[in-house]
Amino acid sequence: MTDWSALARRSIRARRLRFGALSVFLAAISIPIAVPYIWMVMIAFTSRRGMAETGTLWPALIVIVAGLCSYGAALLWLKRERLAIVAGVAVALVLGLVLLGGDLHLQNFRFMVNPNIIEDLQGQGTVGGQFPWVWEAFANSLILAGTQTVIVVTVSTLAAYYLSRFSFRGRSAFLQSLLVLQAFPAITLVIPIFLIVFWVGLLNTLYAPILVLTALELPFFIFLMKGFFDAVPWDIEMSAMTDGASRRQAFWMVVLPQVRVGMIAIGVFAFIKGWEEYVFVNGLRTGNSYWVMSTYLYYVREDVMGVDYGMVAAVAVLYVLPALVLYLFCQKYLTQMTLGGVKG
Amino acid sequence: MAQVTLKALNKTWDDAVAVQDMDIAIEDGEFVAILGPSGCGKSTTLFMLAGIYLPTGGEILFDGTCVNEVEARHRNVGIVFQSYALYPNMTVLQNILFPTRFQNLPDADKRAREMAEMVQISDLLDRRPSQLSGGQQQRVALARALIKRPNLLLLDEPLSNLDATLRLTMRAEIRRITRDLGVTTILVTHDQLEATTMADRVVCMNKGRIEQVGRAEDLYLRPDTLFVAGFIGSPPMNLITLPHPALEAMQSARTFGLRPEALRAAETGLPAQVTHVEPMGREVLTTAQTPLGAMRFLEATTQPRWQAGDDLHLTYAQDDAILFDETGARIPNATARMTEQTHA
Repeated sequence: MTDWSALARRSIRARRLRFGALSVFLAAISIPIAVPYIWMVMIAFTSRRGMAETGTLWPALIVIVAGLCSYGAALLWLKRERLAIVAGVAVALVLGLVLLGGDLHLQNFRFMVNPNIIEDLQGQGTVGGQFPWVWEAFANSLILAGTQTVIVVTVSTLAAYYLSRFSFRGRSAFLQSLLVLQAFPAITLVIPIFLIVFWVGLLNTLYAPILVLTALELPFFIFLMKGFFDAVPWDIEMSAMTDGASRRQAFWMVVLPQVRVGMIAIGVFAFIKGWEEYVFVNGLRTGNSYWVMSTYLYYVREDVMGVDYGMVAAVAVLYVLPALVLYLFCQKYLTQMTLGGVKG
Repeated sequence: MAQVTLKALNKTWDDAVAVQDMDIAIEDGEFVAILGPSGCGKSTTLFMLAGIYLPTGGEILFDGTCVNEVEARHRNVGIVFQSYALYPNMTVLQNILFPTRFQNLPDADKRAREMAEMVQISDLLDRRPSQLSGGQQQRVALARALIKRPNLLLLDEPLSNLDATLRLTMRAEIRRITRDLGVTTILVTHDQLEATTMADRVVCMNKGRIEQVGRAEDLYLRPDTLFVAGFIGSPPMNLITLPHPALEAMQSARTFGLRPEALRAAETGLPAQVTHVEPMGREVLTTAQTPLGAMRFLEATTQPRWQAGDDLHLTYAQDDAILFDETGARIPNATARMTEQTHA
């Protein structure tokens, strides 16, 4: 006789063991990724004498681990996602106030309100009044990333539609070259690009990084968008045209709404690419003609390091924030990316 | 409503001929089915009628006027695709209203509701296409194709994505609606049952050419060509290559054809041994080995009369045999007799 219930018990035990081992493994590998960000935020909000306040770093981890554990426990008991999140956040908040409440302050963010913070810290002589207010760099970064995103999304959508729907001489060669272009590290192009930008007369203007980044990103995004268009059936377009739409109207009213996810996704990627860009931003200016967040952070670290560790962390927090917010809002679309996929 | 005429219509792709010298006149309000195997050019013909493909030769006439160069959106043609091609980003009502967005119709909304009433989807107007079953999507597609009161309704394999029972109801439904509206309709299908049950006339196509045009019974009883004989009828016609020692026929005949229901068991005739019995509900299909080769015959009975291994004799009426010459054309009024030695 087979003992079915013993077999069932064994299978349940094995499943629990597997799940437990997997959870532990995933938690372990996410620690080195998550901890630096947590500490960056902690340093920005707690550092007092410009040094990293190690006394707050470990309690911060305790708060987060406790929050996560209570979320998990609540999820197991209550089986309700929302309640579990509320429980986790509540535990983290209470514990955080108790353990860290006294140490939190906003002093390190004073660069946000004081336009001459670096000069005040280092004395006029050392930096020669070249350091901008952070919001100038912030605005430039927004302009750079935003303009670049608009161009990339527009051009790659139109180009990908054409590539997906029309046959023309050299189409397959064009598609292949789109991929080949991706094989070269963009950084190998710094010097020729510098020369071109110099001759064209765009050196030391924001136009230079906007145009260069757009050009470098387009091949891949065109390829990605083509996958999204390929997934939209021909029938729908033909149907729209027999319904009375012109080709352009069919594109706007019927095809475009179906690649919206793709457009949002490449928009997010393009924006973040532009927001974080350092090499071409720094490489295409001589001196301090324009500042963006990446160069601002770099020079804050150069000039203020050793004086105010906390402020560097605070600048970093401000720098990360827009990208994070964007991700949170568009996460839903980014996870649908596979719908389009990449087809040749 | 329109009279549609195709004159020597041709469509060639780079190297392949899709439609060749197609001539047909379709009366106002007529329901015509274009029937053929996949790749025979029937869908190409449909898309030329819709204005999506440009013919490479010949003329398409609507009420005597050549519309070759008229764009799809101006032809006032309604089309239902096999995939239904509903616009996923719009509700059912918006889908039905879509064609009216390009016309100035004061009563568009009222008309859309009438259409929905006619195809019995009035309670689904706020849903999205993804929330509908195949049959419901089909009805929406039909309403959308008909709302602008088209000159011509084109149906591209409209029933092939439905299950068997639904197909039966939709067949009758589509026929009722097109008859009520008196709209000229062209149905493209590879399903002979669909063509013969719905259409006033059937156009049988093969390899880009029209094989035969006629009423369903003409195609069945008097196929013009060997292709039509083999393609129409299920179970298919028994076809025997001539000359054959067991058959006496005229010199020019190359193929001898006999419908399975034309053969019947008798006291004398062709000796046969049953190899296979397939009860099909109202009738039984039996396959038997004879001096002519394997022959299928149908008997109108629910109870199988034979079983494998049984010996019997088969006979047929002389008029039921059809002979084809080497080009595959039917030889009129020709018949073939069994030679003496086959008669037992």
